[in-house]
Amino acid sequence: MKPARFEYVAAKTVAEAIDARSSFDDTVILAGGQSLIPMLNYRVAQPDAVIDINRVPGLDTISVDNGAVRVGALVRHRQLELSAEAFAAHPLLREALDNVAHIPIRNRGTICGSIAHADAAAEMPAVLVCLDGFVTAQGSGGERNVPASDLFLFHMTTTLDSDEIITSATFPALPKGSGYAFEELTRRHGDYAVAGICAVITPGPDGNCASASLSACGIAEKPVRLSAVEAALVGTNLSDDAVSAAAALVDDMVTNEDDGAGGRYRRQVARTLITRAVAKACQRAAQGRA
Amino acid sequence: MLDKAPLGVSTIRLTVNGEAVTVSADPFASLANTLRDELGLTGTKIGCDAGDCGACTIRVDGEQACACLVSTGQAEGADIETVEGPGPDGLTEKLRKAFLAHGAAQCGICTPGMLMAATDHLARNPATSRAEIEDALGGVLCRCTGYLKIVDAILDVAGGSVLETPRAEGGNAVGARIARVDGWPKVAGTDLFGADDAPADALWMRVVRSPHARATFTLGDLDAVVAATPGLETILTHKDVPGENSFGIFPHTRDQPVFAEGHARFRGEAIVALVGTKEAVYGLSDTDLPIAWTVEPPVTGVGEARIDGAHVVHSGKPDNVLASGRVKCGDVEGARPTAAVIAEGRFETGFVEHAYIEPEAGFAVPVGDRMEITCCTQAPYMDIDETARVLGVEKSQVRIRPSACGGGFGGKLDVSVQPLLAVAARVMGKPVRIVYTRTESMSSSPKRHPAQVWARSSADGEGRLVSFELDGDFNTGAYASWGPTVAGRVPVHGMGPYKVPNVLTEARAIYTNETPAGAFRGFGIPQAAIAHETLLDDLAEKLKMDRWQIRRINALGNGDTTPSGQTLHASAGLPECLDALKPDWEAALQRVAEFNARSDGRKRRGVGIGCMWYGCGNTSVANPSTMRITLKQDGTLTFFNGAVDIGQGSTTVLLQMAADGLGLAPDQFDMVIGDTDLTFDAGKTSASRQTYVSGNASRLAGEDLRAKILKLANAGEDARLSLDGGTLTIADGQASRTIDLATLEADGEGIVLDGIGTWDPPATALDENGQGSPYGTYGFAAQTAEVEVDMRLGTVKVIDIVAAHDVGRAINPTLTEGQIHGGIAQGLGLALMEEYLPGRTENLHDYLIPTVGDIPPIKTYLIEDAEPTGPYGAKGVGEPALIATPPAILGAIRHATGVTVRQVPVLPHRLWESLNGESGS
Repeated sequence: MKPARFEYVAAKTVAEAIDARSSFDDTVILAGGQSLIPMLNYRVAQPDAVIDINRVPGLDTISVDNGAVRVGALVRHRQLELSAEAFAAHPLLREALDNVAHIPIRNRGTICGSIAHADAAAEMPAVLVCLDGFVTAQGSGGERNVPASDLFLFHMTTTLDSDEIITSATFPALPKGSGYAFEELTRRHGDYAVAGICAVITPGPDGNCASASLSACGIAEKPVRLSAVEAALVGTNLSDDAVSAAAALVDDMVTNEDDGAGGRYRRQVARTLITRAVAKACQRAAQGRA
Repeated sequence: MLDKAPLGVSTIRLTVNGEAVTVSADPFASLANTLRDELGLTGTKIGCDAGDCGACTIRVDGEQACACLVSTGQAEGADIETVEGPGPDGLTEKLRKAFLAHGAAQCGICTPGMLMAATDHLARNPATSRAEIEDALGGVLCRCTGYLKIVDAILDVAGGSVLETPRAEGGNAVGARIARVDGWPKVAGTDLFGADDAPADALWMRVVRSPHARATFTLGDLDAVVAATPGLETILTHKDVPGENSFGIFPHTRDQPVFAEGHARFRGEAIVALVGTKEAVYGLSDTDLPIAWTVEPPVTGVGEARIDGAHVVHSGKPDNVLASGRVKCGDVEGARPTAAVIAEGRFETGFVEHAYIEPEAGFAVPVGDRMEITCCTQAPYMDIDETARVLGVEKSQVRIRPSACGGGFGGKLDVSVQPLLAVAARVMGKPVRIVYTRTESMSSSPKRHPAQVWARSSADGEGRLVSFELDGDFNTGAYASWGPTVAGRVPVHGMGPYKVPNVLTEARAIYTNETPAGAFRGFGIPQAAIAHETLLDDLAEKLKMDRWQIRRINALGNGDTTPSGQTLHASAGLPECLDALKPDWEAALQRVAEFNARSDGRKRRGVGIGCMWYGCGNTSVANPSTMRITLKQDGTLTFFNGAVDIGQGSTTVLLQMAADGLGLAPDQFDMVIGDTDLTFDAGKTSASRQTYVSGNASRLAGEDLRAKILKLANAGEDARLSLDGGTLTIADGQASRTIDLATLEADGEGIVLDGIGTWDPPATALDENGQGSPYGTYGFAAQTAEVEVDMRLGTVKVIDIVAAHDVGRAINPTLTEGQIHGGIAQGLGLALMEEYLPGRTENLHDYLIPTVGDIPPIKTYLIEDAEPTGPYGAKGVGEPALIATPPAILGAIRHATGVTVRQVPVLPHRLWESLNGESGS
């Protein structure tokens, strides 16, 4: 198996990479390569040039600031997963990362690469959406932050310009007093999700739901925020009945149907995972208060 | 894309297994290819080129990674560790020994990846646990072992204990758990599989295949493409085939062309082939070739194939029925009304892919007028027949040298690369090599037949079976392959391993425009077993009987007569299998009841039971095997063994039997395996026949040589032999005689004595009602499975399996258990996840096979009800474990949920639909 022919550019700076992006019609960025290389091998992608950013210094750092975690473009999934500092600040990330493929893939694949790849069933884009995170992108027009809500267009497509490169992704801190959970269903552990749910729940002093953030992967053409479910949860006492009623509102958002899971089944999966994720998040919030 | 600049070659520095190396490589070449092609480190295997199989797992800067997903340029300056290295603190070396001792390597193709993933894990986590090991190995697929022995081996190394493997003496080799005698190269990464070797000057070949299930096509100016493509030597079409442009298993069913002639019958059929440099044949896309297609509506599924007016796939078969078989005994219509209870159902299974981790590969070398082909295969002598016909030469003009075979399971019984390579090497007059891609392997190789089965069963008030009927249509795809065998085996076995006085079973192999279906572990019987076991559960339910009990009272035992009229005089050990696992069954029933009583209903558990039987050897035809042992003047003792070991362990167990026949230790033998110029025909590695059939030939060859030695020494039958260099000592009671082999008359090769053994199992033809004795013996098994079902998500987790197998005699219990574990893993896949959809699941991330985390603990009982015609009482064990597994799992799901599923795989959405009363199954 060999990919179709293309130029290989080993960039040494972000500026070089941006320059290379502008010099060819159709380019891709090689970071971890765990999604890109198979696509090239199987000729699903046939770019004019592959721009390798692995030699660009300074992109492999994790910074934790007041509970928020920023990962550079070359931070590998496993690096973040095993980072004690990141785990202490933001335990949701490790819980989600444990669902990403297998260890050899997590050793190489990058979080920013997964976000740029924008697979609708991938975990980390959904986490970014749930947390109202953002990516920092550089292009010929300079640097800008793109919020997750504006980033994902549809399956494997972002809104970034063709000369832009994601240099980091920022996962904002979990709200004080919140609980979190990432729940997903895969056919086998490590496979892409049939559906996955990321949930952050903050109960108020009265135990009722003060705020809720939920997102899903696998159910639509891109990672989606479950705003209707969130709205229905807020103010309730988070009882099983209340959560089930709110979870049912996911139905309208489930648009993905494939061989393995028709729409009705995927709705059931999404509802079930929402109830389980919210329950787990509430449990954690309660433990945090205790 | 042709007008683009050629890829650059860069000088890239790496450290590989501690040594600094510099390679000249395309920076985007995968590290797997660079290690293999530039550095000759072929221990790193390529199974998918997509990060799905993990066979290429190495360590990059101390972290496990898929070498196929790392570009060489990315690895500049990196510290690379491969299976060829010792590992940190010799960890890989320790793991090699543990893998050998535990039988953790079968075919060996995944072993390098497993060893490297395990090395990586233990290097960073020495005090590990089973769960952590499963997490660390989750990216490496194994299709042979069922993973359990791999995990056991790693736990041993972690615990600092090393399992000792016994050394067997002559006379006690049978029954000993010796390490695989061909195992060291597998754990060292030095075994040569089909893609691991080829002459340096070999041209590369790539096949262009039909993207359409049914289409006619015309070829444009191929010469112009050759002229315009540097490095491309030729494009082969059917016109280049020197002999017959057809192959197939049986003389009357050689219906598959080497290259299609204007008409493609399935997606994946070979149309033309590019031959030239690697860059040239892979640089061209299929769409760069002038092939004009006219797409026609395909016949999809047996239903479409059998309607009036259906497109006729092969003109000689106007009803699209390739072959059929039946068994009729007693009077079903007369008997059924006398039954107390009747059960009936329709069952459906899909295509199943073998998913051996080694895609087909090999090379051909023209040697004078002869053609020598090295490739992975299960049937070297059939390969000769097929290749000689295609070349239009005598069989003596073709030599097959089997490479190590990275899994087969029936999928490498048919020729794949052999005729293609032969034609290319003949046309070019030079060596030619080929390596299938994963997609190509999956789209072109034969599958398990999808089945549509109707069956009806009845029993009297005590649960004794009164009648059984089965009618099955098996989708054989576009070409015959082993369809006739499936149509023949299913009726014989379709009622299950039970005493049934009134039987009518019929099965047909039906042509469609889908992927050819052929041989796959069980030849149609796993599909039928789902029907007969489910109906037995139905009858038990109606009679309010225990499911174990109804099987026990109907089980075929010694002295019983099968519906084919064959009386089983011995080694019918199903009653013993059932008795062995009865305590486990009862304990599981209680465990499950307690769990469900505590459950809030979201998760429920259940336990199921399944039985099977399987005739060892080919059905009703001669299938002899011949083995030879030679002794030279210098004392060299050589076992010439034509049976191909595809991982199941025939090289080891046949040697154990030959050694005991002769009376010398297995480790005193040299071995020559498989080469058709050097060995006799041992027949195919299929039908669970090598231990039984070739085992007898091996035993007889040993006994033949022993008899000659004893005669020479005038010694009695109980004499003990010992061989030390060229000195052979025969100790007979108090007397001892020494023979200096150098003094004996030798042939031109220095051989002074030899022993030859030939054996053909007793079998008779079946008449039109399927009456006769189609097999010399049968394997039997009973298995239970315990599952946990997530009632909201429809997911099923198998949490425990108990397997009792009547194997006659376990020649090497470690390898026997390995066959059972591996069969169970494949059966679990068939039951729960595996569904090949042409054009949609042609890779190992859309086609799911079980990973290490999917396999439950397996408890095995080896029942040794000796088979008198078997060598040392042994019979085949390759296929049985797969067959009993799906029905046990389906029974467990039903027990847990109350829902009877009649379609596999039981995908979560299908089960959820059934649980919620939707159409589904």
